[in-house]
Amino acid sequence: MMSTVVNDTSTGPHVAQLWKTRQDKVRTQWSSILLLTPALGLLAVLFLVPLAFAVYLGLTNLTLLGPTSVHWGFSGLANLIRLKSDTEFWSSLWTTAYFIGGSIVGVVVLGYVLASLLQRASTFLRVVVGGIVVVAWMMPAVTAGMTWYASTTGNGTISTLLGMPSSNFLDAQPLLIVTLANIWSMTGFCMLVMGAALRNIPLEAIEAAKVENASSWQRFRLIVLPLMRPTIIAVVLLTALLSLANFALIYIMTQGGPGTATNILPLYSYQQAFSFNNLAYGALIGNVMVLIATVFGILYVRIASR
Amino acid sequence: MMKNTTSQVVATMTLSDGTVLELPPENLATSSSTVKKVTGNTLLGALGLLFLVPMLWLLLASIDSNASWAIEWPHFSLRNFQNVLTGSLLTSLWNSVILAFVSTLIASVAGVFAAYSFSRRRIPFKGPLLLFILFSSGVPLSIMVIPVYEIFAHYGWLTIFPTAVFLSVTSLPFEIYLMKNFIDAVPEDLEEAARMERANTFQVLWRVIIPLALPGIAAAAIFGFVNAWGSFVVPLILISNGSQQPAPIALYTFLTLPKPEFGNIAAYSLVFCVPVFVLYAASSRLFREGFVLGGGVKG
Repeated sequence: MMSTVVNDTSTGPHVAQLWKTRQDKVRTQWSSILLLTPALGLLAVLFLVPLAFAVYLGLTNLTLLGPTSVHWGFSGLANLIRLKSDTEFWSSLWTTAYFIGGSIVGVVVLGYVLASLLQRASTFLRVVVGGIVVVAWMMPAVTAGMTWYASTTGNGTISTLLGMPSSNFLDAQPLLIVTLANIWSMTGFCMLVMGAALRNIPLEAIEAAKVENASSWQRFRLIVLPLMRPTIIAVVLLTALLSLANFALIYIMTQGGPGTATNILPLYSYQQAFSFNNLAYGALIGNVMVLIATVFGILYVRIASR
Repeated sequence: MMKNTTSQVVATMTLSDGTVLELPPENLATSSSTVKKVTGNTLLGALGLLFLVPMLWLLLASIDSNASWAIEWPHFSLRNFQNVLTGSLLTSLWNSVILAFVSTLIASVAGVFAAYSFSRRRIPFKGPLLLFILFSSGVPLSIMVIPVYEIFAHYGWLTIFPTAVFLSVTSLPFEIYLMKNFIDAVPEDLEEAARMERANTFQVLWRVIIPLALPGIAAAAIFGFVNAWGSFVVPLILISNGSQQPAPIALYTFLTLPKPEFGNIAAYSLVFCVPVFVLYAASSRLFREGFVLGGGVKG
């Protein structure tokens, strides 16, 4: 077994000369490659290969069933041309933007408010309210979707509590309701991250500002906000990415309906591929999502690796 | 109270530019902060109630022998729980356990090796590789399910184990990143000491790195488990055999029946949530214990 120690005292400098290796640099070891192989192999086979395959699939005529499910091939730009004039795709893109944008605003504002209130709250409230919000976050999407459906449909919890049992909020405002459900299920994560960042703000900075008679709004704008900036940006990007992945929630609540009111891109891709039989077209819509996710992902990497 | 105001304005402060600041009287400050505290706590309580409202149906319907989508005072019974812990529903829960365990095991083992490598070794293209890992930890890999479906269908892999492998890949990048951060914090002296005693790489990993980075590894494993446990779309598409479907799909099938048993659905949902909540509670303790790491090196 080779040694990892850089300046190994048991081997003299003459050994290094013999081996013609530099002693001031750690060499690449075979065992490192061996240790990396499982993870990188898995990522290559089940991430990079599917990614490349999806790019190709988007340009073919593959279907789920029928003759072209076996004998399929390259169809040029046919799918892209179809995508360009597909009004349902473009409306789905806007629905997605609303869903993600609304989720970001809701999650970040609620997460921050909850985190800062929890810091000053009584122990009882901190445990109970913090617990409820975290439980909402931990709840699997299927369960969250189910209980939100029951809460917002006619005779459901919310309309009963508001004293107008017959109103069906989910039918009246489907996109708003599924966005609220998504905010509900993601705020806990944001609250925990914001809480950790808030605890890292030096108390002296706040105290100094208080001594200078800074108003609470000034303290927030001039001290808290600049220090929280990286955290807020990371949360914004992660919320966007996770919302895109959280489409099981919508699938359970509305299946994209009524009509196409809540048909966000992941659902539309799934629908095209597995309900309308167009695997290739579904893959192409998936590629659009990967493109969107890549933009957010690159921004996230730039923030996180700073 | 007004009488002793003068005696309270004693605290002053001279700033560097010579201005003298009078600090507000102590009790005035506390009374305004009491008001603040009450407002804050009230607002927090209200928000907590808002977050609780959507859960009410789940809690009440699960113990209601006559439940519907509507919210109502339950006809108390535990029959719903008895009903769902039998037959194919129990099999689905068991499938979820297999799916989540296999995927967690693969991701954690592959992840800890990679994380150690990234943390301690010289690797060609380390920077770009780490950026790629970080990037793929942000991108939801489950949106790649269509090409994966086509590949799996071609090889006849639309079963539970290949699905578990794919799910492990969806949580692998984040797990690597999390574990790397924890391994970075393990003092290198300990590893060098083990090397002096001629421990090989696997001994170092097993005896030094894994025990000391355990909180991080456990947190990563829990993340992977929860990710696989709750996943709905991936098994829905990638598992073609009904008897291998995990609990979320069973739950969904439940809903699509012509006459759904709402009480059973709610009870099954709650049972399905239990492992997630237990793991979260366990991991928050792990995290708190995890930051006493430095104590491993003496003198």
